Amino acid sequence: MLEGAKSIGAGAATIASAGAAVGIGNVFSSLIHSVARNPSLAKQLFGYAILGFALTEAIALFALMMAFLILFVF
Amino acid sequence: MVEILVTSCWGKQLKNEPKQMKFEWLFLTIAPCAADTINSPLDQFEIIPLIDMKIGDLYFSFTNSSLFMLLTLSLVLLLFHFVTKNGGGKLVPNAWQSLVELIYDFVLNLVNEQIAGNVKQRFFPCILVTFTFLLFCNLQGMIPYSFTVTSHFLITLGLSFSIFIGITIVGFQRNGLHFLSFLLPAGVPLPLAPFLVLLELISYCFRALSLGIRLFANMMAGHSLVKILSGFAWTMLCMNDLFYFIGDLGPLFIVLALTGLELGVAILQAYVFTILICIYLNDAINLH
Repeated sequence: MLEGAKSIGAGAATIASAGAAVGIGNVFSSLIHSVARNPSLAKQLFGYAILGFALTEAIALFALMMAFLILFVF
Repeated sequence: MVEILVTSCWGKQLKNEPKQMKFEWLFLTIAPCAADTINSPLDQFEIIPLIDMKIGDLYFSFTNSSLFMLLTLSLVLLLFHFVTKNGGGKLVPNAWQSLVELIYDFVLNLVNEQIAGNVKQRFFPCILVTFTFLLFCNLQGMIPYSFTVTSHFLITLGLSFSIFIGITIVGFQRNGLHFLSFLLPAGVPLPLAPFLVLLELISYCFRALSLGIRLFANMMAGHSLVKILSGFAWTMLCMNDLFYFIGDLGPLFIVLALTGLELGVAILQAYVFTILICIYLNDAINLH
């Protein structure tokens, strides 16, 4: 019973990846848009995009961490 | 736990138990813990006291965490020492000196870009040390059978909180009580002020927390992911069935790709931690 509930909880925690996927897609689509408009800024914008990617990815990892905690700690 | 998961998914595994040994050499470098009796992916983060020490009620044991932190420190210090031995190295750098110069230049550019004003050079050494420490800790954690120092709350939160307290002190030192205007954006209608001050205060305090948790979560989640997937790859390769063996290499290559990704994340997280410190420091020095 507890095992099943844990699995359900961990599975539900991974729903958050959907939001992170949207966020990461948004970051890189904006990068492509901006570079297409002003290619001379490509290098600087890529740095910002990587930073935004890391910040967004961290949110997904919070969810992953919750899933791990539910599965293996409790 | 993962063993249970794996056996329920791939019930054939138990039958082939004795034959597992013959693939073991293949996994020594890739799936460090899959062959052990360890059965939870979180067991790799266990802290084991190597030398027990107790002073009064304080627990001062020399653990594997301290060992790997010392290793990182000595590695960085030795690298920097040998490169700058003869008063600043050679005119034409060799590979090691290029590496150190690369790191130094990288952080210097970062600080110059992010922090405005003429005081940035004073904070550069601290930021450089933070970056190199995190970089080498993260990269060292990618070595199989080693211990990731930064995958613990204690280390990352200790680092981020101490840096954050330092940044707040710098802010008060440079701006005096005027630093408190940080909590209230300019041009806010007066009735809204109490809520905004509360909100800004929470968001300011949460920076310290999120700085530490981000690094910890990235490291822990990444390493656990690699471990779980290497468990899957191990199970797949242990099925000595010709039909299965065709598709068996899939998880193995996924693990390989993930290891590459983790190397990238290790460098990226050190960079993100550093750049966020720079941004926060800039906020504290030059109020917005």
